Amino acid sequence: MKDPIIRRIVALFAAVAAVLIVVAVVALRNVARATAGSDWVNQTHAAILELGSLRGAFLASDAALRTLVVSGVEQDEAACRETMADLSENLEVVRALLRSDAAAAPAVERLDALAAGRAKLTRDAVAARRGGRPDEIRALLLADTAAGVTAEVRRIVEKLKTEQMALLAARDSQAYLQAQTTRWTVGTGVAFNFILLGLAGWLVWDDVRARRRAAAVLREANDQLETKVRERTAELAKANDVLRAENLERAWGTQALEHQLRYNELIVNSITDLVFVLTKAQNISRINPAVTHVTGFETKELVNRPLQELVRLGSGGRAGPGDPLAQALREGRDYREAEAFVKDRNGREVAVSFMLFPLRDRDRVVGGVVILRTLSVA
Amino acid sequence: MKHILIVDDEAPIREILSQMLTQSGFRVTEAAAAHEALGKLDSDPPDLLISDLQLEDSDGLSMISKMRAKRPSLPVILLTGILFDEEVVRDSISKLVTAYLPKTAPLARVLEEVRRLTT
Repeated sequence: MKDPIIRRIVALFAAVAAVLIVVAVVALRNVARATAGSDWVNQTHAAILELGSLRGAFLASDAALRTLVVSGVEQDEAACRETMADLSENLEVVRALLRSDAAAAPAVERLDALAAGRAKLTRDAVAARRGGRPDEIRALLLADTAAGVTAEVRRIVEKLKTEQMALLAARDSQAYLQAQTTRWTVGTGVAFNFILLGLAGWLVWDDVRARRRAAAVLREANDQLETKVRERTAELAKANDVLRAENLERAWGTQALEHQLRYNELIVNSITDLVFVLTKAQNISRINPAVTHVTGFETKELVNRPLQELVRLGSGGRAGPGDPLAQALREGRDYREAEAFVKDRNGREVAVSFMLFPLRDRDRVVGGVVILRTLSVA
Repeated sequence: MKHILIVDDEAPIREILSQMLTQSGFRVTEAAAAHEALGKLDSDPPDLLISDLQLEDSDGLSMISKMRAKRPSLPVILLTGILFDEEVVRDSISKLVTAYLPKTAPLARVLEEVRRLTT
């Protein structure tokens, strides 16, 4: 997880999960408490109802005893026993329901004692009736009335009911507070989770936006790069075209020059007369194949040798004072002699006609061309 | 794409001209001899003829005359190593060809003349 945004989102989702766990734990605990509270409430309601029944049972047993004393019939005795059994059962239920309430224990014990006294009174009254002792019965009932058992039972029961009602009200408040706490916890947790999820969503959105921006920048950079590459490619292609054109031009120039030189050489070499190209100092710089054919000398043997070593003018230089050829070249004019002699490699001389033409480069004489034509033997 | 027919007895000359014209967007065919060029005049008529004076089997001016007899409107450039005087060009050569260029002329000048005569 090198990407910080992913780390942040994971952390946020971990926080969401933690909040959910806390909310769930708190809610489950409160539900358990609410369930327990509900059980207790049901039990308290049952205790209140049973206390009411207990009071009724006391009154019923009292009425049944007095009816038995008056009627003395067997059915009323059985009814009296039955009401006592109901009373005993009611008391058992009340004891069971209030077992967890320590504060109610003395009152319950008192009710036990009063119930036991009522049972004893009933037994004694029945025995006195069976024994035919009406005065004893009367005394027992008077004593019971004087003791105010019924009134005490009513008072104890009312007191217990009042206490249970107060506890019920307290438990109701507590249950309401628990429900409120649960609602607050769940609501706060949900709200907090929504905030965290919103934050995660914002982070994702912000990251997407940043990535889009980065992608746009990258795309723009790529476009610029592509444009530069295209421009550079076009420049290179253009430069390549120019270079290719220059190369072709160079090749063309070379080819044209070669062609020109070859053509010129072809012209000179095709002449059957002997052609010598001279420097200004009358040294041989070039010959045509006719020279070799007539004299037997190769080009390499003649180059840079004075023409006079090979050619002798027929006039012997009588045309004027000094060297007539040098003079003609100096003056830039032709020089001709009807007869001259060229020496072959065996020392024999061949009669030729002689023509010298000055070689001009623009207005300057740079050498000369000598053409010798063999004279036919008459 | 304009079609140029190059007639020259020297292969290197034909090759350089062909490369230059192809790179400049022309379609090029070559011939070394007059009879070969005359055959192409019918089979693949050119828009312009570039011819040397010396050919393998004839001289260029004779071949040009034969081509002009068939296609009087065919533009012809005489491109030769033989250097003619301006007077000769003006009075004689220009009556036979559309343009005369010595082979010593730059290649760019040849291209310029080809473009001028094909547009």
